[in-house]
Amino acid sequence: MARHRGGPRLSSSPIVAEGLVRHFGDVKAVDGIDLEVRAGEIFGFLGPNGAGKSTAVRMLTTLLRPTSGTARVAGHDVVREADAVRRSIGVALQDAAIDPLMTGRELLALQAVLYGIPRAESRGRTEELLERVGLTAAADRRVGTYSGGMRRRLDLALSLIHRPTVLFLDEPTTGLDPMSRVALWEEVRRLNREGTTVMLTTQYLEEADQLADRVAIIDHGRIVRLGTPAELKAGVREPSLMVTVPSAQQDAARGVLARFGDLRPGAEGRLGVGLRGGASAVTDVVRARDEAGVRLQHLELHEPSLDDVFADATGHRLEGA
Amino acid sequence: MRAAHVAALARRSTLAIVRQPALVFPSIVFPLFFAALSNSSFGRATRLPGFPEVSSFLQFSLAGTVTQGVLFGSVTGAAALATDIQDGFFDRLLASPTSRTGILLGRLAGGALFGAVQAAVFVAVLWPFGAEVRAGLPGFVVLVLAGMLVAYAVGALMSSVALRTGSAEAVQGSFPLLFILLFLSSAFFPRETMSGVYRTIADLNPVSHMVEGQRALAVDGWSLSAAARALLVPAALGAVGTALALATLRRRLRAS
Repeated sequence: MARHRGGPRLSSSPIVAEGLVRHFGDVKAVDGIDLEVRAGEIFGFLGPNGAGKSTAVRMLTTLLRPTSGTARVAGHDVVREADAVRRSIGVALQDAAIDPLMTGRELLALQAVLYGIPRAESRGRTEELLERVGLTAAADRRVGTYSGGMRRRLDLALSLIHRPTVLFLDEPTTGLDPMSRVALWEEVRRLNREGTTVMLTTQYLEEADQLADRVAIIDHGRIVRLGTPAELKAGVREPSLMVTVPSAQQDAARGVLARFGDLRPGAEGRLGVGLRGGASAVTDVVRARDEAGVRLQHLELHEPSLDDVFADATGHRLEGA
Repeated sequence: MRAAHVAALARRSTLAIVRQPALVFPSIVFPLFFAALSNSSFGRATRLPGFPEVSSFLQFSLAGTVTQGVLFGSVTGAAALATDIQDGFFDRLLASPTSRTGILLGRLAGGALFGAVQAAVFVAVLWPFGAEVRAGLPGFVVLVLAGMLVAYAVGALMSSVALRTGSAEAVQGSFPLLFILLFLSSAFFPRETMSGVYRTIADLNPVSHMVEGQRALAVDGWSLSAAARALLVPAALGAVGTALALATLRRRLRAS
């Protein structure tokens, strides 16, 4: 993780944050974040609930004032030039409801007025966006009748009304079924190909892996790892061995595993170890536990995943946590 | 630009009213019901000493009925604002380059429009039953405008509660305070029939002066001073309410 000290830097990057901090009373929701999102990339913020992702995004989208630190988005300061930031960015927040009493078309029309789009242009833009997110047929139905996936697609369309160059998506697929999720990923990729810089937050490893050019892993309000998914995984060289043993033998098993590498947290009561000797060391582990009299109920070998990167960085697992 | 924002957001709050008839129905029907009930209960009160010369209690209480009904309705708008804050629609608006004042005024304009409609309905429905407005059409127009201003003023005051707490329940919960203010005024009985502390409170209560202006138009006929009382009191309350709501909004945004 790069830390930038000293005065504000001039940067043409669409999102630059320096020493961003936000406290709520005694809680340090965001505890010093530095990052630079480059033009044209999809940047993923990965972390569990409460890690500070949403708080960071709310500061970058002018909805929350930083306790300290600065951020520039689309070339404008998020506090001093908040309105200029708002005009340049598209925002789709997970917890910002869409008025259920209005129709999709009415909401797009309202959004167009709020973003100062001339009437003549607004109608065509609305139709284009409805078409784009596949809501033309449902455009005149009230949003209250939409499925979760349809609401997210409408939310995306709303955030695009003014052709923003930077798009913030806060947990865009949380709670969606797998098909809707993949469809939304496809749309985000397409927007990105057309030149939109995207910052998304997610608690899904697969989403970060599939979608993001670079990923920042955030835990307890701090960025603990930053890089491309490939770089991050390469940082965890050893494959993970996950074993399940009877609860009475947990301590004995830990003793055996510790001889073969650093212990790693495992999900659901399993024990894990990063095998120093690579995958071939599995046979040695099996032989050693024979000698120690530890009974193995289950054994799995994993190539490094973003979850391993996460566990390596934070000491706990994101999945099955 | 700002006017377009206000108009679009006012249209949204009006849509919310039109599309939830069940929510709005009580604020039209209950005041009418209450007017009918009090007319039959207090019909003979018009003979009490100190009571002005009126053709019926209904005519006397028309101004009170309009004010009471509009109070009912204007809470809906403020509660909707609190709901917007609770469910995040407010954030959606704040994330857009919409003027903060415009967001608030749009909400209040929708409520004011509904207040005007309510006042028009109350007067139109009660007139044939004896609630004649002697000031005629100009008097009717003033009553409708007064309904609009009351809805605006109460909406603004209650919006401060919504912006402060972000809770629709808190807005609904502070609603009885408005009713106490209404019943401690001359809305349903002339001040001349009151005594003691009750009289003092009614004398000081701005609602008394507003209602008496409206009432004079119904009972005595047209006079500029009555029209001015009917309109200026809620206009002043509206100005105070707006200032308070904007200050609360600014504090909310600073704290966020």
